[in-house]
Amino acid sequence: MALNPFFQHGSSTEQRLVQQLINEQLKMYGIEVYYIPRKIVNRDSIIREVIASKFDDNFAIEAYVNTYEGYSGAGDLLTKFGVSLKDELIITISKERFEDFISTFLENENDEEIVLSSRPREGDLIYFPLGQRIFEIKFVEHEKPFYQLGRTYVYELKCELFEYEDEMGGWDNINTTTEEIDSTLVNQGYITSLQLFSFGEQAVGIASTTTGYVRRITLTNDGSGYTSTPIVSISTAPSGGRNATAVAITTSVNGVYSIKEILLTNTGAGYTVPPLISITGENGVGAAATCEIVTDYVGVGSVYIQNPGDGYPVAPVITFSSPQSGIGITAKGRVAISTTGSISRVLISDAGIGYTQTPTFVIAPPPVVTGIGTFELNEVVTGSVSGAKARVKSWDKNTDILKLGTTDGTFVPGDIIVGSASSATYSLSYVISAQFSDKYEQNDVIEEEADLILDFTESNPFGNY
Amino acid sequence: MLGTYYYHEIIKKTIVSFGTLFNQIHIRHPDKDGNTYSEMRVPLAYGPMQKFLARIEQQANLNKPVQITLPRMSFEMISIGYDATRKTSVTQTFKTVDNNNRIQKVFMPVPYNIGFELNILSKLNDDALQIVEQILPYFQPAFNITVDLVDSIGEKRDLPVVLENISFQDDYEGDFSTRRALIYKLNFSVKTYLFGPIADTTDGLIRKVQVDYYSDVDTMRSKRELRYTSTPKALKDYNNDNTSGLQEDLTDTETRITVASSASLSIGERIVIDSEIMKIIDIPDSSTIIVKRGYDGTISSPHTSSTPINVLSAADDVLINIDDDFGFNDDIEFFQDSKTYSPTQQKDI
Repeated sequence: MALNPFFQHGSSTEQRLVQQLINEQLKMYGIEVYYIPRKIVNRDSIIREVIASKFDDNFAIEAYVNTYEGYSGAGDLLTKFGVSLKDELIITISKERFEDFISTFLENENDEEIVLSSRPREGDLIYFPLGQRIFEIKFVEHEKPFYQLGRTYVYELKCELFEYEDEMGGWDNINTTTEEIDSTLVNQGYITSLQLFSFGEQAVGIASTTTGYVRRITLTNDGSGYTSTPIVSISTAPSGGRNATAVAITTSVNGVYSIKEILLTNTGAGYTVPPLISITGENGVGAAATCEIVTDYVGVGSVYIQNPGDGYPVAPVITFSSPQSGIGITAKGRVAISTTGSISRVLISDAGIGYTQTPTFVIAPPPVVTGIGTFELNEVVTGSVSGAKARVKSWDKNTDILKLGTTDGTFVPGDIIVGSASSATYSLSYVISAQFSDKYEQNDVIEEEADLILDFTESNPFGNY
Repeated sequence: MLGTYYYHEIIKKTIVSFGTLFNQIHIRHPDKDGNTYSEMRVPLAYGPMQKFLARIEQQANLNKPVQITLPRMSFEMISIGYDATRKTSVTQTFKTVDNNNRIQKVFMPVPYNIGFELNILSKLNDDALQIVEQILPYFQPAFNITVDLVDSIGEKRDLPVVLENISFQDDYEGDFSTRRALIYKLNFSVKTYLFGPIADTTDGLIRKVQVDYYSDVDTMRSKRELRYTSTPKALKDYNNDNTSGLQEDLTDTETRITVASSASLSIGERIVIDSEIMKIIDIPDSSTIIVKRGYDGTISSPHTSSTPINVLSAADDVLINIDDDFGFNDDIEFFQDSKTYSPTQQKDI
């Protein structure tokens, strides 16, 4: 035996005593931090990266701040990628406390998500409550101090501020038991802001009947070169009649309009021969249309909106009643909405034939008449039309603005947004913005500036933009 | 000598045009089943900025909880160099018009190459590869964009954006106290043009072409016999004279037209209703004219009652602007005299 057997380098009781003294010291002089283990959701086995993680658990543990005079590291830097905070933190935690109160819980977790539970792991996070900051463990030093009385008692965790990337779920999967951590992270990362409707009201109106009216307008040439919406003029009705009026619905490519269709706003009355339709618009030529009049039957004359309703994110469907008897044709129309979500007017595409009583019409109700419930932090919400999903970051009931984290898909106006946990239900008016919360990105500014100077009208054979 | 103030913002426009190529790059992350779980647009910014602005904008909250959000792209201009291969004659000029239709004289632009660096910072190699793959195929090695370089004269130029070099840095080795840095760097060169000052020119728009024909090539001794003159002819109304108005709806084939008054109209005149030009071939009475429809290449179309009737006359001809479509008024004169035309006095002497 090489060593003197009458001297020991620490008995197990001595080692136990030292460990307990360290635990006690840490509890007196340390601060309470939160250990947030990384759970691996998806990894790339070729380029060996964890491409999706979740952080949905946390454990309070006492830790001594080695760098008690402040953060170490390079500090706050301005890089070509914006401001980067290179603060580092070194803390010491008790080995025994970790094994007793964290490892035992991690052992029971899914083996695929938690690949190692016996010790603190690089990649896990530490929530540092004094600065309300999230640090990532870069290195776990387990032999410092070096085997006093024959063993080690603490882990020294070398940490650096976390680099946030939009991993699968990323922060949005954080739903710790500590509201302080959750609220710190609410305004970080990629945020999609939605303006919701919490109130909706079905629009109603009445229709009038007429005879000697323009039933519908048929576009025979859609024209080209218009730089603004053309004006449709219909020749006047004979004396005692009522003039028909119509509007052009245009489509545009690169700011040049052509006519898609012509819809009536008033079908007129008293026409005995089909009126002429002229279409005039700035710089445009060629558009022409004909119309069909009905002189011996009754059709829809005009539509009066009594209540424009509210909460319409997209134009609803309008359905006219059918003619009461005989062979008739049901009127058809479309509805235009204002930016505030109410009905602005009804456009008639076919005034119908053969009504013996005043027709009625029904404008479909808005997607949600009364928004209900309160969205919960981190619950998944789904859009009914788009199928897009996202996690809730915040919900302001006063302004009806819902902020979401990473999204799968794109929400569209008209979506009914339903919370998976809260069952809160509201309809989406429009998407306010979708961008990072900090002020780094200039994508939209650059695009707006470029739209003023880039020419999209000419094509060239060497690549277009 | 130097110092005539002008600023076309061409370099700034080149920066914007280059940057906008990369502002719609997205990355997606799949779940275990391969379905897209999240998608985000990669933030892009012009790298250089004022330090205080960066601090108060990006770190309004001093205790920012995270170091940085990734991935990010940044670009910046790194060089400006003269491109001798695209050099043109320094004395060559061209004429164009400004926004007020004044003729401007412009010297040929000077070719410069502006070097750009596009940097991509990501935490995952997979994200960086997604971004790079969405960029590289467009550059073979150039990608052309058409940019309105000088707004005042509407000078549009095709600017090739050439991908010069790609390099990347992946510091995954070393001790564990240093983070892995994953940065892709793409170097580009944009072949732009810099314009000098743009000056008004005294040269006017050519509004008349006149040719005298002589009976012999010896113009000193022979007499001129025929003069051909050509002037621009308006194809739309400029002076809004509103000479008369339609008193009836007009189909696209009707040639006998009832008008408010034919007193100010005369046979042979061209009139325009909406955008259709017609030629008056007869005036039977004070409220009727007979016309030839769809004149001067216009399309015959219906018109509604009360539409104004404008006459296309010499008053309109003189108002034709540069870039407008126009026709030609032809005139032929025969001479029996022995005069010659003096270009300086602009008359026969």
